[in-house]
Amino acid sequence: MVYHRKLVAIVLLVMLCVTVVFSLSAGQYDLSFWHVAAWVCQQLGLPVFQDVTTTAQQEAVLMFIRAPRTVVALLVGAGLATSGAILQGLFSNPLADPGIIGVSSGATVGAVVAISLGLNTISMFALPVMAFAGAMMAVFMTIVLATRNGRIPVLTLLLSGVVVGMLLGAITAAMLVVMDESKLQQYLFWTIGSLDYRNWEHVLMGAGPIGLGLIIMIFMARHLNVLALGEAEAKSVGMPVMKYRLILLMVSAMTTATSVCISGNIGFVGLIIPHMMRMLVGPNHKYLLPASILAGAVFLLFCDALGREVLEKTEINVGIMTAFLGTPYFLYLLRKHSNIE
Amino acid sequence: MENLIQVSNLVTGYEKNNVILQNINLSINKGDFIGIIGKNGAGKSTLLKTLRGFLPYSSGSVELMGKALTDYQQRELAMKIAYLQQQVELTFDYTAKDIVMAGRYPYKKWYQQQDDRDKAVIEASMEYTGVSDLADKPIRALSGGQRQRVLLAKVLAQQTEILFLDEPAAGLDLFYQEEIFRFCQELCRRGKTVVMVVHELNLAARYCSRLVLLKQGQILADGIPEEVLQDEILSNAYDAPIRAVTNEATGHADIFTEPSEDSLEKQQLLDTLMGKSVDDTAGEEHQENTNKQEGKH
Repeated sequence: MVYHRKLVAIVLLVMLCVTVVFSLSAGQYDLSFWHVAAWVCQQLGLPVFQDVTTTAQQEAVLMFIRAPRTVVALLVGAGLATSGAILQGLFSNPLADPGIIGVSSGATVGAVVAISLGLNTISMFALPVMAFAGAMMAVFMTIVLATRNGRIPVLTLLLSGVVVGMLLGAITAAMLVVMDESKLQQYLFWTIGSLDYRNWEHVLMGAGPIGLGLIIMIFMARHLNVLALGEAEAKSVGMPVMKYRLILLMVSAMTTATSVCISGNIGFVGLIIPHMMRMLVGPNHKYLLPASILAGAVFLLFCDALGREVLEKTEINVGIMTAFLGTPYFLYLLRKHSNIE
Repeated sequence: MENLIQVSNLVTGYEKNNVILQNINLSINKGDFIGIIGKNGAGKSTLLKTLRGFLPYSSGSVELMGKALTDYQQRELAMKIAYLQQQVELTFDYTAKDIVMAGRYPYKKWYQQQDDRDKAVIEASMEYTGVSDLADKPIRALSGGQRQRVLLAKVLAQQTEILFLDEPAAGLDLFYQEEIFRFCQELCRRGKTVVMVVHELNLAARYCSRLVLLKQGQILADGIPEEVLQDEILSNAYDAPIRAVTNEATGHADIFTEPSEDSLEKQQLLDTLMGKSVDDTAGEEHQENTNKQEGKH
């Protein structure tokens, strides 16, 4: 068996283009796929295969409703999938995921604190900053609980993540009790990830941290490859394991927290995408990370667009879509891994 | 002879009050092919890990090339000593080449990427251990012997003067087992130094230039194979009657165990098990077995 990396890259790029157009054409306001495709070509100054006229209203829908939503989905999908790939490599455990080690619930707590104190009305950066602080706090707690004699055994890490997640869930619930109703509405958004009403401000908020995170992660691919061979192997070639684990944890916490901030808590992307890509391009992070970026972006965007198309008059939140598509895969993974043991 | 590692009065243990190695005095010289032998639990792997700096020691001293082991940074150490652990368990299906690439890690600063020199070293070491054509194969698709050759290539790509190998031949087919010893012998002739934990005494006798025999965390014997591989010493170390006889054909020692003294008792037990003696006992045992099987279902 040899990995067909070029083929995968081409297929993913084609899928990306198709999904972007699909996302721009999906929704209650009727716009055909080919119409949108032609419009995109026009906008990008590419040769147009079909002459179309787009009304001002149509253009407004595309530019201010669907385009930002599409870009946010791409950013979040790429960020979550890559964070997942990083965490899996970092602990050489294919079942690690930003949700599992408490990063997502930490970010949620931070966000809810910001909402309940009304900080998000003061500055648009209050929410991401608080979410990041929450995520870092969660990671810190998880690591402190999991560290034994300067080592982080994978099993205790995952268990600590569960415990921290429960605690943070309780904190969130406690805050809900005292929260007033208008704020509750905002909170609901965090529990089920959604890309509804995303605008260019959200893009602006997410692009920096997620972009930076992705660049750092790709840059660290060589270190990740060594880490993913396991702690003993990494030490035998002289890697300061603890240091690199912390750096990579921070970067993935930052990326996840930003994603949670602009789209709420979306599960499964960080788990299934890296896993699928690992089967297609192999575990070398030099190829795995770019593949995860593309595939994560495509997957989340597709889930979101599909959620807009499935039902008439109403749309299904992207978090629900990823869960519906993700759980069967996760179960399949669990079965497969228990078979090995 | 150039001295590389000097160990004096080393005492160590995994935890407090649990001394595993005691009074270890050892000097390792350039070109040595040292086999560390002894019973399971005698402290062979512990010794190797301690000398590589993975485990702390409670007293005594270890000097590597004239400098205390504790004064080295991990990365520096990885440029002096390559270490192949006993069982490499890989979660992910890296290709053979990816694995060998890890051997170049200590030579790169954190921001540096692979360059042509790394590629040349990786290719040369894979060529040497005969795994070039497996470079793009996922490691888990390889046989045990091929895997071990890949890992050996990784260790060679680290370009260290000293190699520590923890039972590299365990579980391999006969040919691959011996091949590893041949590789190491050749490397030592070319000036490398190999310290290997060995279970296969016959192979150790044939290939190692020196043997260190451990018993309960202490060195029982240290010298050329002919000195160490003697009936009395071995029987003491392994707590079992062992004989070492020089094989006329190879000129090296053949080591084998002798039947233990309680063999008569064993014969009687075997009679019982085979149903030759009292029929009641056999019947009962049969009953028990059936019960167990039922319990399983």
